[in-house]
Amino acid sequence: MPYREKIAWLSLIAMAVTFGPYFVVVGTAEPMGMLPYLRLFGIAALAQMLILGFGHLYFRWMSPEEARLPMDERDRAIMFRSITNAYYVLIVGMILVGCVMPFNSSGWSIINAAIFMIVAAEVVHYGLVVVCYRRHT
Amino acid sequence: MDGSLSNRVRTLRFLNGEMTQSELGQRIGVTRQTIAAIEAGKYSPSLEAAFRIAQVFNVALEDVFQWKTDANG
Repeated sequence: MPYREKIAWLSLIAMAVTFGPYFVVVGTAEPMGMLPYLRLFGIAALAQMLILGFGHLYFRWMSPEEARLPMDERDRAIMFRSITNAYYVLIVGMILVGCVMPFNSSGWSIINAAIFMIVAAEVVHYGLVVVCYRRHT
Repeated sequence: MDGSLSNRVRTLRFLNGEMTQSELGQRIGVTRQTIAAIEAGKYSPSLEAAFRIAQVFNVALEDVFQWKTDANG
């Protein structure tokens, strides 16, 4: 498996195990105050950073030569395709958040909706990287 | 006009002392996985990479890559 595909899998898993539970909690729990939301978000963000940090270190340690290689033309083509698609998801998501914003009085609902769209765009980005590497394209 | 790109990279590697995908990749500046994708016909290399591959095997570009037009195209 190419090094960059491993990193994409790592990013997807980190996103799933941190922001997955975060959105389950904020989506199902009773409305909370500012501090509990901040604490939850902080825990999710910190956990994601730790998983990504240790994951990167582990993969660099396992395959140092591959990690040092610069992106080649196929890597760049895959990156371009995935970022372009993720960008559209992000833009549509932000427009949707902007549309519902005037009808929502809770600041954290809007912030969580925006975070959800950012996470969705990242999932599309890394998901497409994995799909492209799997399909060899 | 419909068609597809085919290549003889695998054959040329064999004819050049069973050159590995990694070695070919290093010589043209791409990863082993990219060479594998090119050989499998899953990725069409840039013109520059195609010329580099031909140069490594010391053959003309059309001896490495061929464009096949579909019969109904």
